[in-house]
Amino acid sequence: MDHKMSRSPWVIHYDGSSCNGCDIEVLASLTPLFDAERFGVVNTGNPKHADIFLVTGSVNAQNLPVVRQIYNQMLEPKCVVACGICACSGGVFRDAYNVIGGVDRAIPVDVYAPGCAIRPETVIDAIVEACGILDQKEAVMRAGGDPLTVGGAATWDGGVELGEDGFVAAWAGDTAAGTPAAPAAAKEGE
Amino acid sequence: MTLLYFLTLFPLVPALGMLLARGDRARDAVGLVGSGIIMAVTVVVAVMFFGTGPQSFEVAPGTSHVLSIISSAIDVILCAVILYNAYKYRNALTTVLGVVQLVGSLAFASMTLPAAEAVTATPLYLDYMSVIMVLAVGIVGSLICVYALGYMKDFQAHDEHEAALRGQTAPDRRPQFLALMFLFLSAMFVIVISDNLEWLFCGWEITTVCSFLMIGYTRTPEAIKNAFTQIILNMLGGIAFLVGLMYLHLNGMPLTISGMIELSGAGTAQSALLVMPVVLLSLAALTKAAQMPFHTWLLGAMVAPTPTSALLHSSTMVKAGVFLMVKLSPLYAIYPVTGFMVTSVGAITFLLAALMAISQSNAKRVLAYSTISNLGLISACLGVGAPEAVWAAIFLILFHTVAKSLLFLCVGTAEHHIGSRNIEDMDGMFSRMPHLTRLMMLGIMGMFVAPFGMLVSKWGALVAFAQTGNVLMIMVLAFGSAATFFFWGKWLAKLSGVDPTAQNVEVNVHKTEWMALNTIAALLILCCVAFPLISSGLVSPYLAMVFGRVPYVIGKDAMYLMVVIVAFIAVVLLTSFRVSNKPHVNVYLSGVGTDNYRHFRGSMGHEVKAEKRNWYSEDALGEKRIGPAGSVVCCSIILFALLCCAWIGPERLAMSAPSVLRGKYFEGSGVVGIFIGTVAFALLAPLAGGLIDGIDRKLSARMQGRVGPRLLQPFYDVAKLLRKAPASVNTMDDTYMACALIFTVVGGGIFVSGSNTLLCAFMVTLAAIFVVLASASTQSPFAQVGADRELLQVMSYEPAVLLMSVGLYLATDSFDSIAVTGQSAPIIVYSAPIFLALLAVLTIKLRKSPFDLSYSHHAHQEIVQGVATEMSGGTLAKMTLMHWCETVLFLMWVGMFFVWDNPVSWVVALVVMAATYFVEVLIDNTFARSTWRSCFKLGWGVALVFGLLNLMPILVDVFI
Repeated sequence: MDHKMSRSPWVIHYDGSSCNGCDIEVLASLTPLFDAERFGVVNTGNPKHADIFLVTGSVNAQNLPVVRQIYNQMLEPKCVVACGICACSGGVFRDAYNVIGGVDRAIPVDVYAPGCAIRPETVIDAIVEACGILDQKEAVMRAGGDPLTVGGAATWDGGVELGEDGFVAAWAGDTAAGTPAAPAAAKEGE
Repeated sequence: MTLLYFLTLFPLVPALGMLLARGDRARDAVGLVGSGIIMAVTVVVAVMFFGTGPQSFEVAPGTSHVLSIISSAIDVILCAVILYNAYKYRNALTTVLGVVQLVGSLAFASMTLPAAEAVTATPLYLDYMSVIMVLAVGIVGSLICVYALGYMKDFQAHDEHEAALRGQTAPDRRPQFLALMFLFLSAMFVIVISDNLEWLFCGWEITTVCSFLMIGYTRTPEAIKNAFTQIILNMLGGIAFLVGLMYLHLNGMPLTISGMIELSGAGTAQSALLVMPVVLLSLAALTKAAQMPFHTWLLGAMVAPTPTSALLHSSTMVKAGVFLMVKLSPLYAIYPVTGFMVTSVGAITFLLAALMAISQSNAKRVLAYSTISNLGLISACLGVGAPEAVWAAIFLILFHTVAKSLLFLCVGTAEHHIGSRNIEDMDGMFSRMPHLTRLMMLGIMGMFVAPFGMLVSKWGALVAFAQTGNVLMIMVLAFGSAATFFFWGKWLAKLSGVDPTAQNVEVNVHKTEWMALNTIAALLILCCVAFPLISSGLVSPYLAMVFGRVPYVIGKDAMYLMVVIVAFIAVVLLTSFRVSNKPHVNVYLSGVGTDNYRHFRGSMGHEVKAEKRNWYSEDALGEKRIGPAGSVVCCSIILFALLCCAWIGPERLAMSAPSVLRGKYFEGSGVVGIFIGTVAFALLAPLAGGLIDGIDRKLSARMQGRVGPRLLQPFYDVAKLLRKAPASVNTMDDTYMACALIFTVVGGGIFVSGSNTLLCAFMVTLAAIFVVLASASTQSPFAQVGADRELLQVMSYEPAVLLMSVGLYLATDSFDSIAVTGQSAPIIVYSAPIFLALLAVLTIKLRKSPFDLSYSHHAHQEIVQGVATEMSGGTLAKMTLMHWCETVLFLMWVGMFFVWDNPVSWVVALVVMAATYFVEVLIDNTFARSTWRSCFKLGWGVALVFGLLNLMPILVDVFI
């Protein structure tokens, strides 16, 4: 397989609502000590340059559109790594009234990297894992296929939809359109 | 001969017609037909001139005498007009000056008129310079008149609307206005074809009064105040002119330009007396050309309707001043004190006006300052009095006329359609007025980037100053050009923004306006493309005629290369071949952007608009700070010259032999050589540059005690970028970036083929401009801040880079890089200080910390990567390739200092290049990013100190 993509994984890091524990570890993995640049990793801080999206923290109504916009501004082939348990599933905040869930409620996630906080080794491991998916996506794209058929996007349920009021309007799996019960209220009621 | 009479008198017919015509349609008809005929006659005159060559025309003594009487009568009438207005508006100073001038005119008339037989036999002439001016005035001037037809309709409509709001009616003074414009053309023709100074003076005064009346057109208090400023300052010049004429007459010297030149060669006691009239006439010319301390009138004149600004205050009337100095320029070499006055005043004005232009946001004021600045450079060149410098000056006059009139007309039209002449309001104009903005961008490029005419002329000026050993002028030019680059660059960046939400508001621009704008734009491109022809067909013969030798300034091959590049830029800018099918993406606004371009969701939940304002540095470069200082210095210089003439014996002020020129000329390697060099550079530089980048990253990693990326990592990065899905913020940025890459490669090709290093430096600057355009066109606030910083960086390092070429010249008497291989010692021996200056700015050029202001370095975590923010995939890959090429080129500049005719020297040069790069990496890893101010201070500081240090021996040499 062609490894053009995986040899130059540029990342962008976004903090959803993390306690900063994972953020510090993600940045630590980019320091000279862990030297992620060995694999060609560069922290670009810019979605238009980046190939891998590192998200820390859970998703809520405030940051969900932001995560989505950054993801949409990245160009294929691209990968998403959920860094830390909050990003994977919402973690201990899963049941908090304001937390919608893991990053996959907003965008398709390719690599789930657990930990509280995530360890730098795990971050680098996850990036290397994501590199493989990048290569697969690129191969599909060169064959004229759709990159969304590879990785997390292939099996993604669509996450949640926000309404005009900024609250969650539809949950993944809500097949009955126009369900009378307001999902946000239902969530709050739990 | 008849044709000349017709040329000067015919404009009076449409002028009269304007006064008589009633209604827009009649005026349009008169204006179009009148302008058409003037243009046609101009062209016929030029064509006939090419048949006959330069000639003087005899006028029968009787006729000549009658004409002199008429011109004296006109002078008196003009004084009456001034006095009438001075009385009407109770302006004491104007009254006093008017009376002085009236008395002077009458006295002069009483002296000269009775002696009818004394008039010269050939008071009219047509030489190469006259033809250039006739063409400029006839074609550009007539086009501006055509433009005025449509413009004044909008102007009047606006006035009436304003007046109606106040419950008044606005008087329609358009007939007088348009009549004045045609009258003015007639006066200009008189100036450029009269050898007889009395007649020239008559035309001179008509233009002054025309300008006065047109500035006061709106009759607002501000307009009236500025009109009087204009008339007072210009009357000072007029009186100086008159005194000069009297001095000539009283000392029995001829009252003609050719007579003065002839007399100056005689070397007699009488010819030494010429120094005084030359100073006085030059003083008059300096006032007309709005040089410091007289520059304020031109700024005030900007209240006049825009066609006036275009016609009188940029393209023609102010050129009458420099035209007179072109005619006098052979005398400047003979009377050094006059040359000193003109050169110093011009040089100071050039530098200071360019700096003040940075602080202005009003488009017309920026244009005014730029006009003053360019006229300063023209004067400075003319004062040198060597054919090389005059060559540059004539081209500056020509290109300034065309480009500046285009810009004024564009600003005028824009003002009527976007309702402002503030540059800040021109944000996104690329989409609001697509065609007009492209013309405007063309005009701006015509003003300051190679290979358009203006910059090529500046190049000529630099070469001329180097050849004449004019060190201070070299320094002034280096810094003034950098300032010029900055204020034009930021305007250009402002214009280039593509705003997809904008409405096209240029649909109801008058047809006559389009006609004028398109024709002048075409003329600009034509002039640039025909540059080699104009040089060999008009300018060189003129200089051969006047100075007896043809200057060698810019090689033919370089000219041809520039013609190709101009054509290329014009195609990129004006055609629509760049339309791309890349999917559109919105700009990056930290993930909170809303649908619109610069709108984002603020922290309080509201929609906020991000805006980026330009950089003005009002505190450092404001006109209140710089203007008075410049005026004081220039006043002192003029007084010094006058006092010299008054106190020192005239015979001691005349020099018999003009200063000796230095310079041997190489032709570089020719177009073929440059082509081969470009291909070689395009193939090898990216490989070398990528490898250097890889070594850099590996080295940085080792300095930080880690393994670091693979050596070939940069190549992997670019290979990846090229495989990313295509996307673009707009259809322009990728094209601009491709242009930047191409220009860098061409610049490298020019250098490696051994051709002109100045041209090479200009190509790199041109590439920088296109990078700025690419990033500013995105309308992303991040990218635009980066673009601004990029401009600042270019301004910071530009003087040192120009000095690098001068350093090369100093050692080898040539600007061609190949010249070093013929030297018996490396040029570092001669130009060590300049080499140090180059080393100091290399950090800025290589975008290394602490001066990586506009980009971030890969190892740092800058927010969004400045200029590159909106670039992705292939566009970013192009930028990376461009950086690699630049790195290689800049290191070769360093290496150039260590090459001589010994083959071993190539090894030495390579070692020095490697060492230099190592030091750069070391600096990069040691210092944190600094501010733009320290970047700017370092860049200009080292250039000034080391440059002067290095060039000082030449300066002293003149006196030893």
